[in-house]
Amino acid sequence: MSEKPILIVGGGPAGLSAAHAVASSGRQAVIVDKADRLGGAPILQGYAKLVPSHEWAKDAIGGMVTRVQTNANITVHTGAQVQSFAGDPGDFLAALSDGTKIEADAAILATGFTHFDSLNKPEWGFGTYPDVVTTVQVEQMISSGKGIRCPSDGRVPERVAILLCVGSRDRQIGREWCSKICCTVSANMAMEIRELSPKTNVYVYYMDIRTFGLYEGEFYWKGQEEARVKYIKARIAEVTSDGKRLVVKGEDTLVKRPITIPFDMVVQAIGMDPNVDNMTLGAVFGVDLNQYGYIGKAAAYTTTGQTSRPGVYVCGAASGPETIDDSIAQGQAAAIAALSRQGVRVAQAAE
Amino acid sequence: MPIHEKTLIRPENLVSHDELVIDGVDVSGHWSTFIKPRTITDYNEEMQAEIAALPGGENIHRCWQCGSCTNSCTMNAVNPEFNPRYWIYLIRQGLEEELLRDKDIIWQCVSCNKCTYACPRDVVPEAVMKATAHWLELKGHTGESLSSVFDRGFTDNVVHSGKIEEGHVLRIFFWRTGQPLAPPWLRDLILGLVKKLPVFYLYNLLKTAVLRPKTRGWGKTGAAIEDYVRERHAEQAAALGLSGKGGH
Repeated sequence: MSEKPILIVGGGPAGLSAAHAVASSGRQAVIVDKADRLGGAPILQGYAKLVPSHEWAKDAIGGMVTRVQTNANITVHTGAQVQSFAGDPGDFLAALSDGTKIEADAAILATGFTHFDSLNKPEWGFGTYPDVVTTVQVEQMISSGKGIRCPSDGRVPERVAILLCVGSRDRQIGREWCSKICCTVSANMAMEIRELSPKTNVYVYYMDIRTFGLYEGEFYWKGQEEARVKYIKARIAEVTSDGKRLVVKGEDTLVKRPITIPFDMVVQAIGMDPNVDNMTLGAVFGVDLNQYGYIGKAAAYTTTGQTSRPGVYVCGAASGPETIDDSIAQGQAAAIAALSRQGVRVAQAAE
Repeated sequence: MPIHEKTLIRPENLVSHDELVIDGVDVSGHWSTFIKPRTITDYNEEMQAEIAALPGGENIHRCWQCGSCTNSCTMNAVNPEFNPRYWIYLIRQGLEEELLRDKDIIWQCVSCNKCTYACPRDVVPEAVMKATAHWLELKGHTGESLSSVFDRGFTDNVVHSGKIEEGHVLRIFFWRTGQPLAPPWLRDLILGLVKKLPVFYLYNLLKTAVLRPKTRGWGKTGAAIEDYVRERHAEQAAALGLSGKGGH
C-alpha cells in the first residue's frame, strides 16, 4: 500500500472529522475548501447553539477546526477548488484552482449542502417583506447577541410564526425529500426565541413533526411544556401584509377552518438542497449523483460511504440531508473506508 | 341558485335578502344567498394559561391530538358533537369563538374517566372538561342553572355549620329560584313524618331545623375553609383577569 495522503474535499463537520480520523491513524490528510476558512455551514452561516448539544457553533465546530489546523499530518488549502481529478485508487492526481497538484491515495467528498433559497417560494413572502426571514437569519440574530428583532424597524416581535418544510417535501419545486433537521432546529429555535424575549409568542406551522429519536422529549415537548410554544397543523398558503403586520393564510387542518392570522415576523425553516456545485463535483470526480442531485452512494451496508467511483468516498450532507452529529460519524467512517480502500478490490475483481 | 350542501354551512353564515334588486335584476330570496367567510382571524393567547390555572386544567399543554379521549368517550358515543380532543385543541390554540359554540354541551361530561385511562400523555381530559366548564362559568359564558344555585346553597350551608340541614338547603333553593317554599310533595312528606315518627325524633328534627346547630368546634374549621375557598377564588379570578369575586 502506498502512503500518499487522503484528499478531503470540504472542511465542514464531516470533512474535519474525516481529516482528524485520517491523521489520527498516522496518515496524511489534505483538506481543500472553496471558502476562505474552515468550518463549513455552521461557521460560515453563523449558526448559534447547535442541536442537540446546545453548544455554540463557534466553540463546538471551532474546536474541530483548531484540532485540524494544529495537526501536523493535515494540510489545508482554503479558497481553492479541485478542477481535475484523474487516476486510479492508490494513485490519484488532483489539480486545484490555485495551481497546486495533490497526489492522493483516495478522496473523500465532504462537500455538504446548500441552504434552500426561499425566493423559490415567492408566495411565502421572502424577499418581498423584510420581516419574513429564514432560520439561518434567526441563527445569526441569536449568535450576534442582538436578540430577536424585526428587520423592518428593529422592534421586538409580539408574535412569530415558524413555517416548517420550506424547500422540503414539496414536489412543486422538485424537492421531495425531508431535510431531516429543520423540525428539531425550529423546535430549539422557538425555545430560544421565547427565552430571549419572553413576551414573544411563537407558533410553529407544520405538516408533520419529525423531531426523531430523543429529540422528541428534549425539543418538541420541552418547547410546548416549558416554553409554551404553540404547534398548529397547517401548511401555509401565503404570507401577505395588511400594511402594518404580516398576515399568514392557510388552513388549520385540525379544525377544518381557514386561518388569516397577523404576525410580526415569519421565519422560514429552510431545508437542505444538494450543494449547488454538485454537477461540477460529479463531473470532476466522475461520481454519479442520485435522483435528487446529491452525491450518490453505493450499497448501504457493505460499502459505507462509497460513491460510484472506486477510491472516492462521500460523507455528511453531500449525500443527502444530514445532522451535524451524523456527518461527524460519517466522516470517521469514510476515513476508515478511504484508508483501507474499501470496495476497490471488489470493483477490480469485477472488471 | 340554491345551495345544495347547505347542511355543511353554519346557518348564521348564510345571508340572503327577502327583497333585493341589483342593476334592475330581482335577486330576492335565495337568489341573493351568499356565504359569510368562516376564517379564523386571531388567537386568544391567554386561553390555555387560563384553563391551566383552574383545578384539573394543569396538564392540557401535554395533548398531542391523538384522539384517544374522544374515542373512549361515553358522551361522544351518544353525541358526536361532544369531542374533548377538539376542545382541547381549541383551547391550546386560543380559538375562543369556536369553543363558545359548544358551551352548552361541554358540561355534559359524566366523569366516567375512560379518557383519563386512555390518554397516553396524562392530560387527564376529564379534569380538563371540568376546568373548561368552570372557565365558561367564571367568564360568564354560561349562566346560573338550577343546579349551580342548589350547589351554592348546599356549599354555604356546609361551610356555615359543618353539616347539612336539608330543610334549610331546600328553603334557600326554593327562595332563590322563585319557587313556592312549601310545594305539595314537601307538605305531604312532612305530614307523613309527623304522623309516623316517634315524638322524640320529631322534636330533634324541629330543633335542628330551627336552631341549625353547628358541628362542635366548627368555628375555626369553618373559617379556615372559608378562607381557603376565598383564596382559591381570588387566585382563579386573577388568573382569568377577572376583577370581582369569581364563581358562584
